[in-house]
Amino acid sequence: MPTSPMSEPSPEPGRRQILRTAGLGISAMALGSPLLAACKVGSGDSGSGGGKDTTDTLKIGFVSPRTGAAAGFGEPDAYVLGLARKAFAGGLTIGGKKYAVKIIDKDGQSNPQRGSQVASDLINGEGVDLMLTTSTPETVNPVSDACEAAGVPCISTVVPWEAWYFGRGAKPSQKQAYKYTFHFCFGVEQFHQAYTHLWPQVKTNKKVGVMWPNDSDGNAIRESLGPLLKKDGYGIVDPGAYTDGTNDYSSQISRFKSDHCEIFNTFPIPSDFATFWRQAAQQGYKPKIVQVAKTGLFPSQVEALGPLGIGIAGGAYWTPTFPYSSSLTKISSKDLADGYQKSSGKQWTQQLGPSLALFDVAAAALQAATDPRDKKAVAQAIGRLDVQTPVGRLQWGKGPNANVVAAPILGGQWVQAAKGSPYKLDFVLCENSSDPNVPVAARLRPYTS
Amino acid sequence: MSWINAVVQGLFLGGLYALFACGLSLMFGVMRIINLAHGDLAVLGAFGVWWVSSETGISPFLALLVVLPVMLALGYALQRTVLARSLRGGELTPLLTTFGLAIVLQNALLQIFSPDVRSLGPSVGSLATGSWRLADQLSIPYLGVLILAVAVTVLGGLQFVLRRTGFGREMRATAQDPDTAALVGVPAASVYARATAIAVAVAALAGTFLAIHSTFDASSGPTQLIFAFEAVVIGGLGSLWGTLAGGVVLGIAQTIGAHIDPQYSILAGHLVFLVILASPRGRFIALRRAHA
Repeated sequence: MPTSPMSEPSPEPGRRQILRTAGLGISAMALGSPLLAACKVGSGDSGSGGGKDTTDTLKIGFVSPRTGAAAGFGEPDAYVLGLARKAFAGGLTIGGKKYAVKIIDKDGQSNPQRGSQVASDLINGEGVDLMLTTSTPETVNPVSDACEAAGVPCISTVVPWEAWYFGRGAKPSQKQAYKYTFHFCFGVEQFHQAYTHLWPQVKTNKKVGVMWPNDSDGNAIRESLGPLLKKDGYGIVDPGAYTDGTNDYSSQISRFKSDHCEIFNTFPIPSDFATFWRQAAQQGYKPKIVQVAKTGLFPSQVEALGPLGIGIAGGAYWTPTFPYSSSLTKISSKDLADGYQKSSGKQWTQQLGPSLALFDVAAAALQAATDPRDKKAVAQAIGRLDVQTPVGRLQWGKGPNANVVAAPILGGQWVQAAKGSPYKLDFVLCENSSDPNVPVAARLRPYTS
Repeated sequence: MSWINAVVQGLFLGGLYALFACGLSLMFGVMRIINLAHGDLAVLGAFGVWWVSSETGISPFLALLVVLPVMLALGYALQRTVLARSLRGGELTPLLTTFGLAIVLQNALLQIFSPDVRSLGPSVGSLATGSWRLADQLSIPYLGVLILAVAVTVLGGLQFVLRRTGFGREMRATAQDPDTAALVGVPAASVYARATAIAVAVAALAGTFLAIHSTFDASSGPTQLIFAFEAVVIGGLGSLWGTLAGGVVLGIAQTIGAHIDPQYSILAGHLVFLVILASPRGRFIALRRAHA
């Protein structure tokens, strides 16, 4: 045995120093990402209206996952924050009074505890007037809960609305379960529409092999999407709920093969899908339609599959072809994507649209309230809002309930990028059932890779 | 037939687990350090291989030849600078140190490589996706065979080194009693550093195969650590052949479990692990002095 900690004379300085250095390193890393990201966009503390006659500053909190498992969602945030800060630089004039606007962004670290903690820091420490939050229930739900409890208006997106509304304890009978928290996003109904408009484009035996994991998304989909698809005449072959992080899928593959499932649908985390899909290739399972949700949202996730990724069908809640502009920044969807690609050198991702839309809604909400400082008035104003955003026109009060606007998700396919494109893949929309204004670019082709 | 396929796939999965567990087993066997940063070191290795291979366009296996010496050196330096000092602070300090190291590594990788998902699968072509189709429901994947072969070679090779060479004798002596070994002229510090170097290099090897098998990003390390740890415990702490057997048992338990119901896949692995811990052998593992 090495010397036990008890018999040790005194902790030598060397070790302490290491721990301290490591500790500093950790905190520097943890702090580093949002700080660096904020510096990159170069506007830092913009918006405080300098020498003008303003003494009043409105503070907007923004929480998204910038590190951790869902960091891919937060990747374009730095760019969007830059655009929003620029738009708010001149301040907002509300009811004849000029306000400076300050955006404070925080990293939820893909972790519910951390999300809840940064939300209360923003509420109690910074005293934010309005909260924005996006991407995955792990970040959005705890932030929304903290805002609801503290009576701070909060707008959120990129969580299927059922997971946000019911996942936080609302009952199906409740029409307005929350007073301060509002949401816009697609739900199961939009998935159902997208799938039933997409799949008939390829001739199949209508047998769907599904891999829905044992997590909040997977179970919600199993309960609500499964029965809807059955009603439309699709046969569902469900081998059972698997655990995220499984490294072998041979049992599911053999089941899909023996049942001849020509359509395959899954809601996995990216690494699980890659493991599954390579194993499916090894064992010779080749469905005609590979419909993937939750993963395959971003180009890198599909590129990582190599040739196997070409032809995978997915869904999009925003693409550069959405014929809408941001009401706050006046930037069109196309310019939004182009600007991001130019400034970051990376291909556009779906996150750009909803993230910028959050700021459109925020500006509209503050302006619609008689007093932007009155949190109750702002919350009530959001409930009646009608805003033009890159993801479309968002109208509260017409959705499935008073807190939620059901936004579209459209079906499409990852295809090889056209010659001359700097990127490997391109996402083309193949149906527009939940928003007919968005142009359809192509027909779904059978998976061949 | 599909049952046979489940066992066969489990065997290959076990090869990957064993390779992952190898470094963990070695470090525990020699130094009694449970390296919580093991998974992240593997991911670091995978990023290294990915970076070299995408910068130069060479195959990941050639890139591995470049990365392995770097990882050996990194492991050596890690032990000399960080772990050796924390070892002096008792048994818990290395645990905390490696935990901290894991967080530092994850965040550093995120900063450098962005949160994009990556994979080495596409750059090895049909190796990642091809197989020998023996029957409709039975296929032998090339990649599985390769990983299992590498795992057997690495674990067998290390076992041979430990049993038959002077360096191995030094390592075993230090593992049993570092003070007495030092009395007869075997400096523990140097043996420890070499053991860590090997462990980190094998971790990088495992990380590379994981990156071919699936995808990876900066936060992929910890999920594999739990399986590696279970493989080590099932096989008996500190025994390398045991680790290979442990990996295979875990892999087959998972695929058989999944064959009954996908819900039981990971659970079946955990159950085997718990049964082993609760069995008389588990007490033996807990009480046993480490020896490699």
